[in-house]
Amino acid sequence: MIEIKNLSRSFGGIKAVDDISFTVSSGYITGFLGPNGAGKTTTMRMMVGYLQPDSGSILLNQESIFEDPIRTSKSIGYLPENNPLYDDMVTIEILQYLAALRKLDKAFFTRRVDYVVDSCGLKGVLYQKVGTLSKGYRQRVGLAIAIFHDPEILILDEPTSGLDPNQILEIRNLIRKLGEQKTVLLSSHIMQEVQALCDRVIIINKGKIIVDDEIDQLDTYLKGIQLLHLELEGEDVDLTEFLEYHPELSLEHYEHENEHHKLQIKVPSDLDIKPNLSRYITERGWLITSLYMQKQSLEEIFHDLTQEDTIPGIIAAEELEEPGSESDKLESDIDPEDTKGEEG
Amino acid sequence: MKAIWTIARKEYQLAMRAVTTYIVFTLFLVISGAGFASAVFKIQLAELRSVYDIINLLFVFFIPAITMGSIAKERSSGTIELLSTLPIHLSDIVWGKILSAFWQVLTLLSFVLIYLGVIMVFGENIDYGVIVLGFLGLVMVALAYVSIGVFASSLSSNQVLAFVIALAISGFFYVIRYLLGLMPLRIVRYLQWFSFEYHLSGFLKGVLDVRDVLFFAAITLIFAFLATFKLQSQNMMQER
Repeated sequence: MIEIKNLSRSFGGIKAVDDISFTVSSGYITGFLGPNGAGKTTTMRMMVGYLQPDSGSILLNQESIFEDPIRTSKSIGYLPENNPLYDDMVTIEILQYLAALRKLDKAFFTRRVDYVVDSCGLKGVLYQKVGTLSKGYRQRVGLAIAIFHDPEILILDEPTSGLDPNQILEIRNLIRKLGEQKTVLLSSHIMQEVQALCDRVIIINKGKIIVDDEIDQLDTYLKGIQLLHLELEGEDVDLTEFLEYHPELSLEHYEHENEHHKLQIKVPSDLDIKPNLSRYITERGWLITSLYMQKQSLEEIFHDLTQEDTIPGIIAAEELEEPGSESDKLESDIDPEDTKGEEG
Repeated sequence: MKAIWTIARKEYQLAMRAVTTYIVFTLFLVISGAGFASAVFKIQLAELRSVYDIINLLFVFFIPAITMGSIAKERSSGTIELLSTLPIHLSDIVWGKILSAFWQVLTLLSFVLIYLGVIMVFGENIDYGVIVLGFLGLVMVALAYVSIGVFASSLSSNQVLAFVIALAISGFFYVIRYLLGLMPLRIVRYLQWFSFEYHLSGFLKGVLDVRDVLFFAAITLIFAFLATFKLQSQNMMQER
């Protein structure tokens, strides 16, 4: 388990990581999500000890990672951003070199080579120069290095960046497999990736955590903000009565041109309002020309959350204490105008 | 300690695979060989003193060329991140790099044995003590230059810049001797102490002075320490 407490780091005048706290629990795959420049890499670099934080602490199993750095680096496997490798070395040489620096014994080395060749699919490239490998294979070599010494914690900085869809699937499967036994923290700026892989997601932007929640929770919150788009034709269209009867609905937008009416209604995710609504409308002799539900995609949520300027009340990490209350707060903070903008 | 050897061995092996190493080696041997030829065949002296002088000058240019990539390349390719998150000390990296460059220089110097062979075959009244001590002096001065080069390489990710900085620092230690004539006598006494030439001349004359050995050892240690400090200033974790 890794605990991050009030971690800060700036470069020059820019605060790359601004007083963040979170926990990566054992046996989970945690996704670290944020746009480029959000502070993901800086945070991860501090967690592996490559960067020294300005303030705050990083605890690995209740002990500061700075206490005994040598021991810390034994229990962490790290895939750095852009996966730097020695291009003029052969794959097996790199593994041997790093194993020697890690002081792994021979029997363990042979066993692990077999394991990483098998799990990372390195069979064909074990005796090939790393500089000549395709990006997919490079990434696998990087992963092989990260898991080689069998660390309890894996920190992977954008493990699938720059890969083609097939390679992405392979790497994801591998990470999923690894996640069954190990604590994994991976960063990404791709929503689906985090959704597909992780149990937990931490969204970070401009050095601050804006969401720290289980992925399922994020899902309910996603459904919670669906928007009903309704277009009607008819005389004296008035839905006030219907809306009063359903207080959980709220009219977000209304415009009309002669007898053509356009409405947007915010609907809670667990409520299927369409049958009642269409019955109500047809009973009054109006004509529905268009009716559809717009679910806000994870992408849009991500966009909304990380575009501070378009959203008045960004949720600060400190406010997100209880998982239950989180989604409610998030809902109320989403600006419907923004979703409309997305659609148009 | 084992980590230093591992790093040094890997660096040396990689260097021996690179074409640039052989270009540097060839250039070095052509120039020093020309110096040797003119000393032995023109002036007809059965000694290596003049070759040693030339080699010492060549070191100022060639050792920075050998060391410039040592840490700068790790930095520019990002592999320094891989290396410094391993369970090793940052000083291991610096000493590994120094050792590997030093090995390369020793490989170069081993060709001096050919000159020695030529002298042994054709020369008379050879003073082996001077030749051996002079060689030892070259080894010592090479170590100091290597340490300076590795320090320069630790400063940035730009290899050319590393070369220029190493050349400037090494050049400073080399050139002091020629500047002494321009200095007031009072400071000459202190300043000449920093001259590599001043400390090397003892070796070349066949005199072994412990102070000279200590001087080169101290220069080596100081720059190795500075390089380590430079790495630590970015990554304080490894040796807190």
